[in-house]
Amino acid sequence: MALSQQSGILQQGASEERGENARMASFVGAVAVADLVKSTLGPKGMDKILQSMGRGQEVTITNDGATILKSIYVDNPAAKVLVDISKVQDDEVGDGTTSVVVFAGELLREAELLVNQKVHPMTIIAGYREACDCARSVLESISFNNQSDPALFRADLLNIAKTTLSSKILTVDKEHFANLAVDAILRLKGNGNLEAIHIIKKTGGTLQESFLDEGFILDKKIGVGQPKRIEDARILVANTPMDTDKIKIYGARVRVDSMAKVADIEAAEKEKMREKVRKIIDHGINCFINRQLIYNLPEEMFADAGVMAIEHADFDGIERLALVLGGEIVSTFDNPDTVKLGHCKLIEEIMIGEDRLIHFSGVALGEACTIVLRGASTHILDEAERSLHDALCVLKETVADARVVFGGGWPEIRMAKAVEELASRTPGKKALAMEAFARALRALPATICDNAGLDSAEIVANLKAAHGAEADSRMGVDVVRGEAGDMAVLGIYESFRVRQQVLLSGTEAAEIILRVDDIIKCAPRKRG
Amino acid sequence: MPPKQKNELYKESARKKDVRTSNIEAAKAVADAVRTSLGPRGMDKMVAAPNGEVIITNDGATILQKMTVTQPAAKMLVELSKSQDVVAGDGTTSVVVICGALLKKCQELLEKGVHPTIISDSFSKASAKACEILESIAIPVDMEDREALIRAANTSLSSKVVSQYSSLLSPMAVDAVLRVMDPARPNMLDLRDIKVVAKAGGTIDDSEMVDGMVFDQKAAKSAGGPTRMEDAKVGLIQFQISPPKTDIENNVVVSDYNQMDRIYKEERNYILSVVKKIKASGCNVLLIQKSILRDAVTDLALHYLAKAKIMVVRDIERDEIELISKTLGCLPIAHVDNMKPEKLGSAKLVEEVEVGKGRVVKITGIENKGRTATVLLRGSNKMVLEEADRSLHDALCVIRCLVNKRFLIAGGSSPEVQVSMQLAHWSKTLQGMESFCVRAFAEALEVVPYTLSENAGLNPINIVTELRKLHAAGEKYAGINVKKGCITNMLEGDVVQPLLVTTSAITLATECVRMILKIDDIVPTR
Repeated sequence: MALSQQSGILQQGASEERGENARMASFVGAVAVADLVKSTLGPKGMDKILQSMGRGQEVTITNDGATILKSIYVDNPAAKVLVDISKVQDDEVGDGTTSVVVFAGELLREAELLVNQKVHPMTIIAGYREACDCARSVLESISFNNQSDPALFRADLLNIAKTTLSSKILTVDKEHFANLAVDAILRLKGNGNLEAIHIIKKTGGTLQESFLDEGFILDKKIGVGQPKRIEDARILVANTPMDTDKIKIYGARVRVDSMAKVADIEAAEKEKMREKVRKIIDHGINCFINRQLIYNLPEEMFADAGVMAIEHADFDGIERLALVLGGEIVSTFDNPDTVKLGHCKLIEEIMIGEDRLIHFSGVALGEACTIVLRGASTHILDEAERSLHDALCVLKETVADARVVFGGGWPEIRMAKAVEELASRTPGKKALAMEAFARALRALPATICDNAGLDSAEIVANLKAAHGAEADSRMGVDVVRGEAGDMAVLGIYESFRVRQQVLLSGTEAAEIILRVDDIIKCAPRKRG
Repeated sequence: MPPKQKNELYKESARKKDVRTSNIEAAKAVADAVRTSLGPRGMDKMVAAPNGEVIITNDGATILQKMTVTQPAAKMLVELSKSQDVVAGDGTTSVVVICGALLKKCQELLEKGVHPTIISDSFSKASAKACEILESIAIPVDMEDREALIRAANTSLSSKVVSQYSSLLSPMAVDAVLRVMDPARPNMLDLRDIKVVAKAGGTIDDSEMVDGMVFDQKAAKSAGGPTRMEDAKVGLIQFQISPPKTDIENNVVVSDYNQMDRIYKEERNYILSVVKKIKASGCNVLLIQKSILRDAVTDLALHYLAKAKIMVVRDIERDEIELISKTLGCLPIAHVDNMKPEKLGSAKLVEEVEVGKGRVVKITGIENKGRTATVLLRGSNKMVLEEADRSLHDALCVIRCLVNKRFLIAGGSSPEVQVSMQLAHWSKTLQGMESFCVRAFAEALEVVPYTLSENAGLNPINIVTELRKLHAAGEKYAGINVKKGCITNMLEGDVVQPLLVTTSAITLATECVRMILKIDDIVPTR
């Protein structure tokens, strides 16, 4: 470090770390990040409080690896790589965000030991790669597919949802929520558009009172004096200013010489608004939903025409509404013939907790549904939403790729076994790396055990023995009873896609970090 | 795994323990802060806001909300009492006290080496069982039974500063809710349909439920307009009676002296024409919505309105519009051209009455009155008034709970003792850690009678043990009669409360405890 600064090649304030130092720094950073989220893994994993240091000191409580990593301060380049892969995992499959980081961390921990034994990083990488290929093919061979049988498939989905939820706050009501999530996903009929599943959070009640509603719920109010219940609704979804169409020329102003003329202009403005409202009503609608505010005058006109007008539906809401109701978002109203209106069977007000909401049932997009979450506090609700989102993502992936594996560390043990066999056949130092890879794989079930306060060494050894004795043993970690258990009996299933992604991204991230031998930090930009 | 790691793991778990302990400590501190306000003999708290304002209250949710806590776990307790407020409206102190007691038990369990998730799971089972037990001892209530409802409201009010007026406020709360309730759709009950107008001066005794509507605003009479109107036609307008203003910026260019006069005249004519149109519709009472863009009504307009014998109430907030239009059966009018007789509401009498120092406008004898209610609260000073407002809200919530879940249970901590006893009994049928945790849960619930008697100046240990004995002997409605300072049958003493208050207190507190238990780290973030 000192050398580089003396040389004066780099700008002042910049620093460089080389060789051993650089590698050490990245190992330390990556392992630290992995250890941070490690304790959230598995059904007995713990939660973290994320306390915002900014204004407001907001508090988030979560068990979701991606959420934790996304929000922490990281000043270590290697640690950033891990944060990134967890983000990618979140985008790709939605779950396993903790697993992938823990796995990459374990790979690096093992690599560090090997580097200390004078194994060249490139050799380690080569070994990891071969091991990863081998593990992948094993994973593919042990997965199974029940898509052809709807009943079995549904059971699979339920089990997957339950496994995903078991590590989250929803664990006690996982039966309930797994059903919710599976119902919601199956309604989508495989099109995988999670947009159509709307999640509303309302404080009060308990998690158990959360429910799935066929149709769509909008957290808005109906204007005064308008019908509160409409059957066979024809709905126009719009994004248009309903105050006045302002002339959007900067500084436009009128000069008049009398008050009467001002009044005339005002009247003209009002008339313009009326014209607009008339045009809207001429679409033959009985419900009008606008993204922007609807002022008193148009509101009254709608009320007179018996049209339900809902103002200030937010951007998200309006897009989802358009999708769900099968209409399009309109902002000009000159051609009523070409506009596609939205339809639904019934619009009515319902009451959830202390609030009134608008309920659309019998919507055009039959797949749409709304999940209403209830819970004691906003923290619980936020976390419940994240958990449910994870479950939905995983289910979506599973519907797309119906291959399923057992959970509870079962695939890891199987893969580790295969990789070790490969290592025993491989000559050279690469074999060492492969053995390390197998150990890293086994670290996942070990972590699950550790978090549950169990004797990880004993249980993993038992698992290893069970799999060694029987080629297709279905033993995995049974956290509840604290021993090795049959995963098929316990119903612990996971999506193949998630596991595969964990394996591949984890290995890739470890490889990238291993290749580093020099960290150059640019001088921070001077703030004036 | 290499041995080095084991060391690391140990250190880490030491830190985790610290985080958990500090969380529990913080949450317990919050619970202790409100503990003394529980029950009829509970004390009030004075909260001094940073802006110098002082609030005196007995309402747990309000106290916690005003306490600016920063510790994350403590914040969760604040949230907890808020959600109890949303669900049940009452029992906001109890829920925090129960949560504190459960956390205390958790700490003991953790020290004994029980894994947090085991505690969490067992607690959730225990809370489900507790609700089952509560339902089994609940007494169904009929909405027609006004007396029973009043008794429930009485219990809720008994701990408040206004308790001596409960004979007045409880029937008021019951009647208000019953009036607002739509028998066809009872679950659509919205407490926002009950308008509470608080006015300082007089005593709480002078509070009344108004058959009609009350506005906090005075009638505008600077121009000598009427303040009393019989056979009123009420118009609720959302447009402004003031010189025109366009959305485009406008300049009136005045080039000579004559023009100025003309402009004045035109302005007068403009306003006069508006007033004439209003008069033509037959309207004689105007409610004018507040406007931020321009004057809702100018002095000149008031003058003309006064001449036309139209009574004016101004500064109506936009959020009140819906309630007003529902109550008076009128529709808001957004443009003067839409002033039509059918949009007006009619009432026998609209008058400004003197209430203490201030004045309010009262509308009575409304035709086609909607399902709304108005309560006029009086009190000798602002603090009493605010507390009375909060207490009345609690009482209203209690009645609403009964509408949603039509069961009553006994008050005076008898349900808690009963649940505690039955849970302890149930725990004997369980095995291992679970049984141990459920047992702890049962013990924690005894905090309610304990605190109640402590606050009442009784000997808590005597009372709690006595209660246990009675409940074990099958007296499932025995509870603490705080007024007499002894144990009596709560049903005979007419101390009852809605089932929903207690069940939601237990489930919400448990949910919160489980969440706190599962936290092992606090991570600073952006």
